[in-house]
Amino acid sequence: MHQFGPDPWICGLVRIQPQKIRNPFRVTKLYPKPVSSKRTNGQLTKQRSFLFFFPVVSSLPSSISPIFALVASAPICTVSSPLSMADVDEEDYVYFGTPIEREEEISSRKRKAIAEPGTLRSLPPWKQEVTDEEGRRRFHGAFTGGYSAGYYNTVGSKEGWTPQTFTSSRKNRAEVKKQNIYSFLDEDDLKDIGGNTLETSMQYDTFGFTAAEFARKKAEEEQKKRPSAIPGPAPDEIVLPASSSIGMRLLMKMGWRQGHSIKDSNAESLSEIRREARKAFMALSSNKAEPDISEKDADGTDEFPDMSIDVLRNSENTPVYVLNPKQDMYGLGYDPFKHAPEFRDSKRLRESKSRETKRSKVHMGSLLSSNSKKYAPGFGIGALEELDAEDEDIYASGFDYEQTEVELEPSKAVSSSSGDRMLQLEHKKRGSLLGFKLASDSDYKLERFYPPAIPSNFRPIHKFGAPLDQTLKNYNSVPPPDAPPPENTNLRLLIEGSAAMVARCGKSIEDLYMEKSKTNPLFLFLKSGAEGYDYYVRKLWENKQKFVDNLKPAEKLTAENRGRILGERPLASTTSRVNDVSVKAREVINTQSSHGDTVTKPISLADLPDSAIKQFKHDPAKQERFELFLKEKYQGGLRASGTRSSTSTSTMSEADRARERLDFEAAAEAIEKGKQTIQISAPSTDHTKDLLGFGEDRFVSSTLIENSETKLEETNVVYPKREQFEWRPSPILCKRFDLIDPYMGKPPPVPRPRSKMDSLIFLPEIFKSSNKEDAKSPIGNSLEASKSGLKEAEAEPSASEADVAPTSPKNVERPVDLYKAIFSDDSDDDEADAGPALNQALNPVKSSEGANKTLNRLVAGDFLESLGKELGLEVPPGSIPGPSLNANTVSLPEEQKSCKGGDDRDNTPFPKVKETKSKDYGSTVDSSREKKRSHSKHHRRRSRTPDLDPDSGSDSDSHRRHRSRSKKRHDRRDRSRSRDSESSDEAYMNRKERRKKHHSRHHEHKKKDYGDKYSDKKRRS
Amino acid sequence: MASSGWELAVNESGVLKGHEGAVLAVRFNGDGNYCLTCGKDRTLRLWNPHRGIHIKTYKSHGREVRDVHVTTDNAKLVSCGGDRQLFYWDVSSGRVIRKFRGHDSEVNSVKFNEYNAVVVSAGYDRSVRAFDCRSQSTEPIQIIDTFQDSVMSVHLTKTEIIAGCVDGTVRTFDIRMGRELVDQLGHPVNCISLSNDANCVLASCLDSTLRLLDRSTGELLQEYKGHKCKSYKMDCCLTNTDAHVVSGSEDGFIYFWDLVDASIVSSFRAHSSVVTSVSYHPKDVCMLTSSVDGTIKVWRK
Repeated sequence: MHQFGPDPWICGLVRIQPQKIRNPFRVTKLYPKPVSSKRTNGQLTKQRSFLFFFPVVSSLPSSISPIFALVASAPICTVSSPLSMADVDEEDYVYFGTPIEREEEISSRKRKAIAEPGTLRSLPPWKQEVTDEEGRRRFHGAFTGGYSAGYYNTVGSKEGWTPQTFTSSRKNRAEVKKQNIYSFLDEDDLKDIGGNTLETSMQYDTFGFTAAEFARKKAEEEQKKRPSAIPGPAPDEIVLPASSSIGMRLLMKMGWRQGHSIKDSNAESLSEIRREARKAFMALSSNKAEPDISEKDADGTDEFPDMSIDVLRNSENTPVYVLNPKQDMYGLGYDPFKHAPEFRDSKRLRESKSRETKRSKVHMGSLLSSNSKKYAPGFGIGALEELDAEDEDIYASGFDYEQTEVELEPSKAVSSSSGDRMLQLEHKKRGSLLGFKLASDSDYKLERFYPPAIPSNFRPIHKFGAPLDQTLKNYNSVPPPDAPPPENTNLRLLIEGSAAMVARCGKSIEDLYMEKSKTNPLFLFLKSGAEGYDYYVRKLWENKQKFVDNLKPAEKLTAENRGRILGERPLASTTSRVNDVSVKAREVINTQSSHGDTVTKPISLADLPDSAIKQFKHDPAKQERFELFLKEKYQGGLRASGTRSSTSTSTMSEADRARERLDFEAAAEAIEKGKQTIQISAPSTDHTKDLLGFGEDRFVSSTLIENSETKLEETNVVYPKREQFEWRPSPILCKRFDLIDPYMGKPPPVPRPRSKMDSLIFLPEIFKSSNKEDAKSPIGNSLEASKSGLKEAEAEPSASEADVAPTSPKNVERPVDLYKAIFSDDSDDDEADAGPALNQALNPVKSSEGANKTLNRLVAGDFLESLGKELGLEVPPGSIPGPSLNANTVSLPEEQKSCKGGDDRDNTPFPKVKETKSKDYGSTVDSSREKKRSHSKHHRRRSRTPDLDPDSGSDSDSHRRHRSRSKKRHDRRDRSRSRDSESSDEAYMNRKERRKKHHSRHHEHKKKDYGDKYSDKKRRS
Repeated sequence: MASSGWELAVNESGVLKGHEGAVLAVRFNGDGNYCLTCGKDRTLRLWNPHRGIHIKTYKSHGREVRDVHVTTDNAKLVSCGGDRQLFYWDVSSGRVIRKFRGHDSEVNSVKFNEYNAVVVSAGYDRSVRAFDCRSQSTEPIQIIDTFQDSVMSVHLTKTEIIAGCVDGTVRTFDIRMGRELVDQLGHPVNCISLSNDANCVLASCLDSTLRLLDRSTGELLQEYKGHKCKSYKMDCCLTNTDAHVVSGSEDGFIYFWDLVDASIVSSFRAHSSVVTSVSYHPKDVCMLTSSVDGTIKVWRK
């Protein structure tokens, strides 16, 4: 009697209610089923079936209503033995739960149940379902009514079809449902249609591409499901096609194996099989398999004389030769290395090297990098992004896996047993023929020829002893008298020949002939007075004449020249156009040079050492241009000489001209520096000479100079250097930093000059504003000094600026809109100009304002000069405004007179600029009076029109009304800006003051700290 | 007292491993209990360096992550890198709250301001940009583009933005004053670091020199030499007591200098490759270093 019931290995059958399963991996509730003791034979089979159905909870379909799960603590297969015993006596078995029924049985029963008409009839009409012959809900097809629905297949509800409502919210976007015929057809309908569906077939996958693609897709899917530790797409090396191509399969069937060449020699395959068998046998039989095999191999070679070679050949696939597959992204036929084939080799070398390293690093490399070039290991980028330079693994050298090639040398292990074997291995390794050995030392050596040593004094520039032209000129000037040829035809030919030679090659050949004439009587004609000398001289002249004609045919025959020769009238249009172009070019040059003028301080050429200027001695034409350049640079004489220079340089190309210009600039700078050193250290002249000599050497070649110059400059600048600029934080930034916007309610900022060009247009002007009294005194001093001469007067603003700099807290670069001032047309400017000046004279009391004005004049004088230069006017030094206030008023008309020479329009700007500036200062003075006024006041004032502005100085009111609109605006902007900066200055000063205190305190503290440290260290040491 | 070797974090006490490939930056959080790292593997990682535990990985970057900063309340992160955007993260959920765009190329450095309301980033596009964390806008609220070259590093004080640039300048933008102070050093600035009292700025230049500047006057206080810093972006910092200057080296060494007399107090090989970043604990003698070799090391006295 077997008690099957509460056995230790079957705990029980439990029933899981599907509605309780929320999480497929967690069963919430288990109901133990009451134990039944009845059992039939038929049930036993069922029992067996369910016993072997080991449930995986996660995969349970929820549609089958009662699910039975077996929870077993012991291996389930042991069930079989008690079962077999159970057949004997069924009566006493204990059962748990209800057995799982077979599917067919379920379906058949269900069908039966559905087929039962009584049950159907009992249902209300809208719940009745129409079923097909298999008991499934009847589906008529999408276009023939769909499922048979309630209400006798008419509508979905009592009211009719319920329309679908379209809902789409921001969070739950309505899906665009794509419907096609197939979504309305079940398989029966499809069968009816014919089941034409498109599928990829492996059958015709000749090259295995589809299979590979399929495999890759599968792998990707897999990865999406279960992301691995390695990010990025799965590398190609890992993913291999699941199936081989049909061709391969056929070949395999025919006995071909991977990695072997295809051939039909039966004997070889036979021998191969035999050999394989032997190998296998040997491997099984003994540990000393290898040497034995080698011996047997040797035997094998005896049997089949060519086998060993075949073995070698067998191990390789038939190589596929593809000529230069296109692997780059260039256009068809484009060859990037067309003109530089040497780069192609280097590229190929690099590629092959990278391929090698790739192979050697295949373990790490292929795992870590999807495209293992030089990119960071492990991290590919998106498929849509291109690899940029920044993706390159800049750390590669550090992170590279060390390529330690472990040389496995089996030969060493075997060497004791057979030297033959070792030899073979050696050969296999080297890839040479059997029975041959690589020579350890060959007598063939690549002979190398080293380039000849260049003597140290060799100069790569060839110098012609004397300019050819000059010697030619000599001949040109005095044509020798015609002489009859000598009777001797041989002599005549000789003379003619040598004359041609000499004409072509110069005097040196003649000297050579002279030398020869001492020994050879044939060359006697070279001596003057000898027979044929006259004829020789004549011939020589003729030849040279010819040579000269050949030299410059291009210059001789231009279209215009020919026209002139032929007596044609030159075409007006062409010439003018040519001139236009050249004029334009000239203008460019002129403006360039004039810009150069404004930047550099003038230096008189006169007191320069001669050697400094003569830097291009070897090239007189260049030297000439250089001198011209210097003249232009330092004396501002652009006009006449400028045109000349442009014509002389017009034969050069644009690039040449630019380079030469750079040369000149550099040279000029060097000269300037040299001069400065002279001034500084007058006695040590040899040093400066050295410098100049150095320059002379350097300027023979062209482009290196720049670098050296910049280096020189760099060393001159002392780092660290601190500069201050205005910067506007955005209001929101201030808010977020919990700070008050320092520029609250101020007009938008002026763009800071970026390039040199900008700074030339917007001439920076340093103006100080903290306290006018301080500013007055240095200017007052400077006024006397400025009398001494132009140069000093020009230096003055900078001097005063230097004086002011420490006292004034900030130097704000304020651009003066010079161009705007120039080109805005004002007719009544002159009279407007007179206004402030007159007022000035009338109110001498306002000394501070006057002082400011004179400062303006000084700065303005500078402007005038530069402007004059630019416009090609000679500005007399006297026209710079005088130092005294009275002189101011007097000098003004003078200026205008001096400017009258040029374009009328162009004169106007300067006084205007000056005027606006004086206005400017006036207003700053105003504002300094109104220091205590609030920002809101500013606001109010700015919003008013200036015409009605009572706050502005009464002195300027009268003429201000005459001004044009644009100017008003300009003026207003200037004023408000200065005011703003004024008030902010004040605030800044206050803060600065505070900060200084704090800072000094801090400094002390810090010093103390350091001091502590120092003392500490001392103590310790 | 502060310059003796035993006060320095020179003994290795732990290695944090997990990054695949180069680790580009390591940063302590505000109180020094946690650290954040980021690297070439496009992830950010949060660690407890003291216990050596890896806490979380933040993945969303499409390219390498170059810098990361965490708010003072440890609630938010901001990170930047090769994908030209700033990622604003929620620390606990690990989700990206916002992406700030605007930079035209890689972003080198990023910082929160004191109130965690603004993110300021420095980029290869020669600009420093400020983004507002409080608004929905992802556009910058301020663009500073006076730089001549790639801006490598940015730091914020209560009122200033300080940035080091390859054009050889350290620029201080004082928001309160509306002033820009430009300190020209003459050599490309690789990284800047503030002293703990915020009076000095330490600038690592690409001529293998660290320069200590007085921020108020702009004068050069000291130069520190001996390490190698020529081409990689590397960090430098001061120790918690401001007594020493620390910097990595391109040969994998760590250098300690005395702040005052610029003598090399200690130097040792820490990593097998370029030391990309060093971060010093705000209070304790504890230092983190990260390297191209993919490791982060914890150093104690």
